[in-house]
Amino acid sequence: MIELKALTKKYGDFKAVDDLNLLVKKGEIFGFIGPNGAGKTTTIKMIGGILAPTTGTVTVAGIDIQQEPEKAKSKIGFIPDRPYLYEKLTGMEFLKFTADLYGVPADIFPKKAQQNLEMFSLADWSDELIESYSHGMKQRLIMSAALLHDPEVIIVDEPMVGLDPMAIMMVKDLFQRLAHAGVTVFMSTHTLAVAEDICERIGVINKGHLIASGTTAELQRKANATDAALERVFLNLTTNVN
Amino acid sequence: MHEILTLLKPRIWPLTNRKVRKKARGDLLKLFLFGTIGMLFWIGIFIAALRVLTYFEGIEEIGDILGYKLISMILIVSFALLIFSSILTSLSKLYLSRDLQLVHAMPVSSYKIFISRWIDSTVESAWMVVIFTLPIFLAYGIVYRAGLFYYANAVAALAALVLNASALSTIMVMVAVIVIPANRLKSIFIFLGILFFVVVYLTIRLSRPELLVDPEVFDTVMVYISSLETPQSPVLPSTWAYDSIKAGLTGAFKGGLFHTALAWSFCVSIAFILIMVAETIYFQGYSKTQTASARLFKKSRAGWRCFDILPGPIKSFTVKEIKTFLRDQTQWSQLFLIAALVVIYVYNFKVLPIDKSPIKTVYLQNLFSFLNMGLALFVLTAITARFAYPAVSMEREAFWLVKTSPLSLKAFLWIKFFIYYFPLLILTEALIVATNILLSVTPFMMTLSIVTVFFLVPGIVAMGIGLGAAYPDFKAENPTQTVTSFGGLVFMIVCAGYIGLVILIEAGPVYNLFMADIRGKTLSPAIWLWTIGSFAAAFVFSLAAIALPMRFGENRLSKRLI
Repeated sequence: MIELKALTKKYGDFKAVDDLNLLVKKGEIFGFIGPNGAGKTTTIKMIGGILAPTTGTVTVAGIDIQQEPEKAKSKIGFIPDRPYLYEKLTGMEFLKFTADLYGVPADIFPKKAQQNLEMFSLADWSDELIESYSHGMKQRLIMSAALLHDPEVIIVDEPMVGLDPMAIMMVKDLFQRLAHAGVTVFMSTHTLAVAEDICERIGVINKGHLIASGTTAELQRKANATDAALERVFLNLTTNVN
Repeated sequence: MHEILTLLKPRIWPLTNRKVRKKARGDLLKLFLFGTIGMLFWIGIFIAALRVLTYFEGIEEIGDILGYKLISMILIVSFALLIFSSILTSLSKLYLSRDLQLVHAMPVSSYKIFISRWIDSTVESAWMVVIFTLPIFLAYGIVYRAGLFYYANAVAALAALVLNASALSTIMVMVAVIVIPANRLKSIFIFLGILFFVVVYLTIRLSRPELLVDPEVFDTVMVYISSLETPQSPVLPSTWAYDSIKAGLTGAFKGGLFHTALAWSFCVSIAFILIMVAETIYFQGYSKTQTASARLFKKSRAGWRCFDILPGPIKSFTVKEIKTFLRDQTQWSQLFLIAALVVIYVYNFKVLPIDKSPIKTVYLQNLFSFLNMGLALFVLTAITARFAYPAVSMEREAFWLVKTSPLSLKAFLWIKFFIYYFPLLILTEALIVATNILLSVTPFMMTLSIVTVFFLVPGIVAMGIGLGAAYPDFKAENPTQTVTSFGGLVFMIVCAGYIGLVILIEAGPVYNLFMADIRGKTLSPAIWLWTIGSFAAAFVFSLAAIALPMRFGENRLSKRLI
């Protein structure tokens, strides 16, 4: 469902992502972890079509994002780590704006919007200006918006930042339900417990290179840390490379 | 088309959103104040244009030439302003806006995103130029008794001028961003834009237009006028607008239509090219913009050692404040602009034709010197509003660092105060001394000016820092945004009141002292008492102007939850 082939991004002489190859299957929750500045957000941005790769290709739902960016993006629900929202719009207006751009039919929108707002406990706030929302509420609103058009792929950068424990549980549960329904979730995170809990496979990126990928058990073997927590596995893998 | 309109909705909806109007504090006052100032300015331009054109009309033979030359100059200047304004706005809208990441993640082609941004940028960059040139064209229509065709044609010609300027500058920006990252490019263009403005202003000012009304130089003026009829470059969009408007004024219907059509044909062609260029390189440029820009100068820590004598937290905030100020490239251009304005300000005093006045020169020189104190302090207020007032707001989201640091808010505000106080005091005193020397004032007036300014500067700076702390806007993207807020308005009003009050208190006693000095007379005890009382009152006001706003700011800021 998501295929990265020889993906490279250079900022001047610095290679933020270097020859990244990866395949994420339909209905899979893939966790992407790595130290700060490893290239996670750059990769996420390239998959989301916000950043052009220097070389290599990104294919989402069988569509090359550089060849047919609009078509590919219409399959994606993109959730950035620090969402920018139009502060002077209300929550509902923002959803309407998103729905119009993703081509959600006008007759379906009200029901769908209400359903998403309720799911993210924002229904009572739908007519309030976004500037009055807390950080967590903004994060929940952007998630509601990203799910409006029933995306086939969800790309999410640090999904749990700013969310309360109840919302974290709800999001984890939601991602799992979506994955069962065939939606692919590509998730970058620093919260290793979340990655361990819900991701079927995890990729570890360091200094722009994908240094390991597989299930938690496979990563443990690779890091020579059988039965260790993901945190130890992560440290072993990234420190060895360093 | 539907997608382009949808992309424009976040700009339109907030204007029609009643909740926004209800909630925004001080918006009505701000709207009223700026609306009134804008309206007065508009009416002022209209009256001035009407008077100048009526005067030109009365001059035989060369009246029309002057009138048409004025249109051509206005159009060239407007075109240049539109180009620069559009460069800056399109850079922000196309490459630097915070919502671009959100928009580019959506299934909309980049050329549609581009078109919506371009429309937004064109409107934002041109509305002010258009609104404030309209009264001039209206005055032309009235003085030249033009028909309806002139007005319709002028609007069409101006619209084409705006679109052409915007399209040309946007193409330049897109090409330039491919070479230089957008954030760096913006600083360069701001700097060039201000340089351009200052050069134009200095050229006009140093050419001494006041000489045009002096009969002794009339020969030179005749030579000048003969050069006025030189035709302009036919490839400039401003020339097409000029030819079109001129034809409209003379009632040449076909000529007017032809030149407007010419301008619009270029407009359509350039719009087509613009979209082609955008389709090819816009996303590439946007993608490149997300790369962090490298620092221009990486230099030593040696210069900061002089602050080592300060206690830890005070030193760290002082150094941070100076470093962030100097590294913000938008501040450099502002400093440059201020330097140019100071030169112009001082130069104006140099060319004052005081000796040609029928009023006694010594009296006039000292009267100007007294009024100059007020003027210089108003200049100081404007500079304080631009630099010291936003100082607290510019902490932005990093304000939590201040709140959690082992430094009291009081100390934090006083650090800010002293950082701005010393340079502003030196600037204002230099301004006063230079202009007084040029005016050849008496030693009494020189001393009075220096002392008064010495006591008023801290008050004004304290008001800037204090009110800036009382009404901070940590979400403001740039300092200018903070100045036009409710608190910024309060600051300007309070400062104007304070300066006016002190000048008023001093006016009577200063007049008595000055006249007694000139006539060699002594003052009566009652007048001495009045004089001492007035200066004491001014002193007390100045102390209050320092202490009260700082305390007010500290109290309000301490109650703010971040």
